[in-house]
Amino acid sequence: MSLYEIRNMAVTISGQRLVEDVSLTVEAGQCTALIGASGSGKSLTCLTPFGLTRGVAMGSMVLDGIDLGSADAARTREARCRITGFIFQQPLTALTPHLTVGAQLQEATMQAGAARPSVRELVRQLERVGLYRADERLDQFPHRLSGGERQRVMIAAAIAHDPKLLVADEPTSALDASLRAEIMGLLDQLRAEEGLGLLLVSHDLASVEGHADQLVVMDKGRVVERGPASKLLSDAREDYTRRLIAATPRLQEVAPKLSRPGEILLETRGLGVTFDRPGWRRGKIQALADASLIIRQRESLAIVGGSGSGKSTIGRGIAGIGPVTEGKILWRGTMLPERRQRSLDMRRLIQPVFQDPVASLDPQWRVEDIVVEPLRNLRPGLTTAEYQEMARVALTDVDLAEEFLARWPTSLSGGQAQRVAIARAIIASPQLLVLDEATSALDPLVGAGILELLLRLQSENGLSLLFITHDIAAARRLCHRIAVMEDGRIVETGAMQEVIDHPAHPATQKLISAS
Amino acid sequence: MAGSIPECGKGEAVLKPRFPLVVVLAIIVLALVLPFLLPWTYDQIDWDAVRAPAFSGAHIFGTDEIGRDRLARLAAGTRITLMVAIAAALVSLVVGIAWGATAGWIGGRVDEAMMRIVDGLYALPFMFIVILLMVVFGRSILLVFVGIGLVEWLTMARVVRGQVMALKQRPFILAAEAAGTPSRMIMLRHMLPNIAGVALAYLMLTVPQVVMVESFLSFLGLGVQEPLTSLGILVKEGADDMDMTPLGLALPGGLLVMLLVCLTIEGERLRDRFS
Repeated sequence: MSLYEIRNMAVTISGQRLVEDVSLTVEAGQCTALIGASGSGKSLTCLTPFGLTRGVAMGSMVLDGIDLGSADAARTREARCRITGFIFQQPLTALTPHLTVGAQLQEATMQAGAARPSVRELVRQLERVGLYRADERLDQFPHRLSGGERQRVMIAAAIAHDPKLLVADEPTSALDASLRAEIMGLLDQLRAEEGLGLLLVSHDLASVEGHADQLVVMDKGRVVERGPASKLLSDAREDYTRRLIAATPRLQEVAPKLSRPGEILLETRGLGVTFDRPGWRRGKIQALADASLIIRQRESLAIVGGSGSGKSTIGRGIAGIGPVTEGKILWRGTMLPERRQRSLDMRRLIQPVFQDPVASLDPQWRVEDIVVEPLRNLRPGLTTAEYQEMARVALTDVDLAEEFLARWPTSLSGGQAQRVAIARAIIASPQLLVLDEATSALDPLVGAGILELLLRLQSENGLSLLFITHDIAAARRLCHRIAVMEDGRIVETGAMQEVIDHPAHPATQKLISAS
Repeated sequence: MAGSIPECGKGEAVLKPRFPLVVVLAIIVLALVLPFLLPWTYDQIDWDAVRAPAFSGAHIFGTDEIGRDRLARLAAGTRITLMVAIAAALVSLVVGIAWGATAGWIGGRVDEAMMRIVDGLYALPFMFIVILLMVVFGRSILLVFVGIGLVEWLTMARVVRGQVMALKQRPFILAAEAAGTPSRMIMLRHMLPNIAGVALAYLMLTVPQVVMVESFLSFLGLGVQEPLTSLGILVKEGADDMDMTPLGLALPGGLLVMLLVCLTIEGERLRDRFS
């Protein structure tokens, strides 16, 4: 018998059927991964049977002999607190900020009816999830821990009462690539050691590959396809699954055809950024030090690094929207002045695109005004009709229909909003785009579409791209060269394939083995 | 994911007839219209009906101890109170937005210095200063404005500064900067429309606060002068005479409470919606 089996489940919220006809099984010691884009109903599917959403689940959901569909509230509660452990996406918000790590663990252990655990027991729990100096950690508050450490504490709390099933809702999406691999490794180890069954929810096929035994692919509230992971990945029957697999960047895939770079466009020499700590005289933070790099015409340079490595800081400095405190930026050999002193013509040359597509569009403006904004400043004096025509062309360039001109940002999906942001960036014909995690917040299918769009824009308009990302496999689809960053420094640069094949610096090796 | 759960019940709150808003509007309309309908003005003395009880003859709510129509005085008092409140709130809006937006936009040392000035002004014993001003310069409605305006813009400045600082880091502001939009235009066309909602909500909350302060000053005898009147003066007059005619206190007092409660409820509803 399976540890957890869902058969023909439907989830409704206030009469609306959002999930239909879902079946899946989780075996003890194995991992079943639920894959789908945002809004596909994957979180509803895994949380609703335990009463953790506003939805109502119907159908057969048998967990360790208890049918969650027909059990009364007390039995459901027991199934939830004794047999199951939960891990959520945001490790900071999932931990209670005013309780120490020890207090949270203690609560997690006792909620299933166990006696108050001793300090030694708590230390053992933290060591089980690979946290060092566990006795010190017990007295720390969540904000003192890094993202990876918090996620480990979350896992420790989720398994403190020795559950049989672990439900993990996007456990690694908020972490950077190398941490992601560590956490997935930890979950694998726990499965092997304790015989835990794992129900994993993710939008990212790449992060569960090699870890999941069973895959369930969901789209629009229905299961598209399910089966053993190895079989599904190599021989998918459904078109949606195949597209999803193709859209997920891998390091092993065939190298893409890229345009031939021209002469040197932009060069930075010894770029450095220091920030004042907030308040009077609290010292400085060095966010970027001695960064030198070159971007050629029609070339894409990837800047890859973990969170806090300074990769966004360098992008902002180059785009003239963030401070630069040391070093020079040269544009075709002539110096670019500091941000506010750049002339309109210089600003036109470099345009940024950001990670969060919805936040990068002013909610009070219509798409047309958003797209036209750079033109009004950088090429003043045209008539309204000319502006309108250029906005229409720019939207066509990013594969959006003309009717989007009249829309408001709040009515756009993430992918559409990102296309509008790109249209705004290219409308004044810049020569360099600075893309700061431009595909990271998007679903794989949508992100792959944006990557293709960027490739096309590069070959058509001869654009140079500075592609800032933590995802080396996505960067490989687009970029000629790569610069790896760690702790505010560029630690390795080189041709993309060469660096992937022969990484020299430990940080690079870690990033590559994690992808 | 949370985003996949459809929001429901959003329409209900909009469709509900909003009682507090209706009350506020009714009070404003009555205060504006009544003086034209009544045969009496607020300072006219009816020698034939001094201390007339309610519902006697032409005076619906009777007259006060020197024979002035209560209803006419109530309407006039409400008008003055609301006028002071709205004017002071508008002044606080303009000053608060200008100060807060400047501090938030420039940031750094300038921001520190400007916000310390705000903190300093907060710390001043404001009543004491108003009383001192009154003693030195004599009583006038202008001084009431100055006194109230001095304090009420502080909260607005803090709120607006916080909003501007949060917006400043939003990608669409950075994109506008990269697009060459001048700072002045970013302020006017990106920042202001996005903070307008929150500022409006706090404006609505400032009005009842000012009503309160004005009534308090008038009650102490520091506000507007006879024969002009305000809700605070009416409450004071009523309180002096409450064992003889309780209605004289109940009418302006009740109106004041109703106005304050309804304005505050509406203001908080707006604030919750925008933040």
